Amino acid sequence: MRGFPIAGEGRQKRARVPSPLAGQGAARVSGFLLAAFIVIASPAFAKPQRVVSLNLCADELALRLADAGVVKSVTWLSQDPRNANMAAQAAALPANDGHVEEALAYGPDLVLVGPFADPASIALLKQVGAPVVEVGAPQTLDGVRREIRALAATLGEPQRGEALIADMDARLAGVAVDPSRPRLKAVVLRPNGFTVGPGSLVDEILTRAGLDNLAARLDIAADEQVPLEVVALLGADLLILDRDEERAPSLADAILDHPAVAALARRMTVVSLPSRLWTCGGPEAAEAVERLAAAAAAARARQATQ
Amino acid sequence: MSARAAGAEVGYAPLVAALAVLALAAAFASLMVGYARLDVPAALADAFAGRSTAAAVVLEQIRLPRAALGTMVGFSLGLAGAALQGLLRNPLADPGVIGVSGGAALGAVVVFYSGLAGAFALAMPLGGVAGAVLAALLLYALVGRGAGTMTLILAGVTVNSFAGALTALALNLSPNPYAAYEIMFWLMGSLADRSLPQLWLALPLTVAGWALLLASGPALDALTLGEDTATSLGFDLGRLRAQLVAGAALAVGAAVAVTGAIGFVGLVAPHLLRPLVGNRPGRLLLVSGLGGAIVLLAADVAVRLIPVHPELKLGVATALIGAPLLYGLIDRMRKEA
Repeated sequence: MRGFPIAGEGRQKRARVPSPLAGQGAARVSGFLLAAFIVIASPAFAKPQRVVSLNLCADELALRLADAGVVKSVTWLSQDPRNANMAAQAAALPANDGHVEEALAYGPDLVLVGPFADPASIALLKQVGAPVVEVGAPQTLDGVRREIRALAATLGEPQRGEALIADMDARLAGVAVDPSRPRLKAVVLRPNGFTVGPGSLVDEILTRAGLDNLAARLDIAADEQVPLEVVALLGADLLILDRDEERAPSLADAILDHPAVAALARRMTVVSLPSRLWTCGGPEAAEAVERLAAAAAAARARQATQ
Repeated sequence: MSARAAGAEVGYAPLVAALAVLALAAAFASLMVGYARLDVPAALADAFAGRSTAAAVVLEQIRLPRAALGTMVGFSLGLAGAALQGLLRNPLADPGVIGVSGGAALGAVVVFYSGLAGAFALAMPLGGVAGAVLAALLLYALVGRGAGTMTLILAGVTVNSFAGALTALALNLSPNPYAAYEIMFWLMGSLADRSLPQLWLALPLTVAGWALLLASGPALDALTLGEDTATSLGFDLGRLRAQLVAGAALAVGAAVAVTGAIGFVGLVAPHLLRPLVGNRPGRLLLVSGLGGAIVLLAADVAVRLIPVHPELKLGVATALIGAPLLYGLIDRMRKEA
């Protein structure tokens, strides 16, 4: 089983309770723990020089934050521009399949794993003394900021982290929502018929874009499979698809091409956001907010002409 | 064997009529049952008036294909089961048990995930048919005529596990990160969120398969008297075999390409109905098809009513009924032997 999180494959699990610190003299930084960014064996205080990432989302954040040449290997998923935001940079690096022995081949002084990493893999890495840091899956924009800050500190690049956060916040601030107008009703449809409920990052992204997430009215968890007919009958103004045109076929994606979706497109505005904006909770959340706000404006214009 | 000895008290025509009414009722129930509260009469009125309201879209594009495909696939599996059982003269010859469905799933998977499905419209169902033909030929090479039950089941196990392994391999080779998780659909089957175009694509091949299978009735009846007698009555057994393999492959292959492999329907329906047609394999064909449709539609209504999320795969529901039945059948055959 590959250790990559395609959000939507299952319900988002909360970050696992950290196992007791194993490395001798490891510094426990309480702020990291609060940040759902779990330090399992803290790296040395010096900047890590040989970083291997075994998770798509960790790949992207590390490539954004670390000096060139520090990240030695990223997952194969990061090299596909259909999945990843940092594909150009990732393509220049050797790819891994998320296996422990691949990571160890680089003699890493830091191994980044995702929140769904196999506990056996983490135990194995710790056993051979490789420092492991888990990069979480944030469920709020605040969580995204904390995640960036925590990894920037781990990589010894705090200024770069703050700059990344400031850039994201500036883009978010650029999206103006008129509070006097009623919010457009929206619903999200992702591969395998998943939608997003309250308490998820995408729900917050919708709210920031001036939309009212209809799925929040259903009795569902943050990320849950919902039958297509329920989505169709919610009465949304805007149907938001997590969809890539050029991706290889799968049943999961086929639901987004269902004729019912096409028939509904005559009644509501359908907007597709590429998967790379959904999969990880990174600074690309700002781009998702911008695109959705633009789609909402287009939907209002269309409603006005009808 | 006389009809009376088999406990058949029902006439053939009334039986067919009763089963057809039951199948229609099951299809109607499938249309009514769903996850969202849908005002079916209002949706129907909208659909006929050409108003594409959300309710009409749900009825036309989601509920209708689901009910129609349930009927079509159930009929195919029930009919193919009865026909294969007549040909191999073995009540265990279900398309799922002997590996024809598994082969069809493999064929459909290869076509779909390689991107061939987009090349021409019929590619998907034809992929399923090709896989089913391959599995049937492989099986026939191992089993031949008049092979024992043991050989049939072992050959089925072999074909099934080989096809399953190749299906998993094909899914893992896909660059789409979701593909590897989709083996459950192909091995267990589901009617969730299928579409009208899928129904139209599968229907012609399926109906051709039905025609071939239903036309084999008299030859199957003659075959119960032994191969020599059947030949002396003027039936060409080589042609019969080709006709049945082609018919089963067309009906099952096209069905599996849309819904994935759904097991045990072709076992349960003929088993329950055989006594009612006086054990005549020719008469069992149409009756089993209708029975299969009823079984599958009932299972599909059940998976939507059981509060389990995500929805249970159809093969889970049919196996819960079918597997104990298969066990009992094997046990009885063992005692009779």
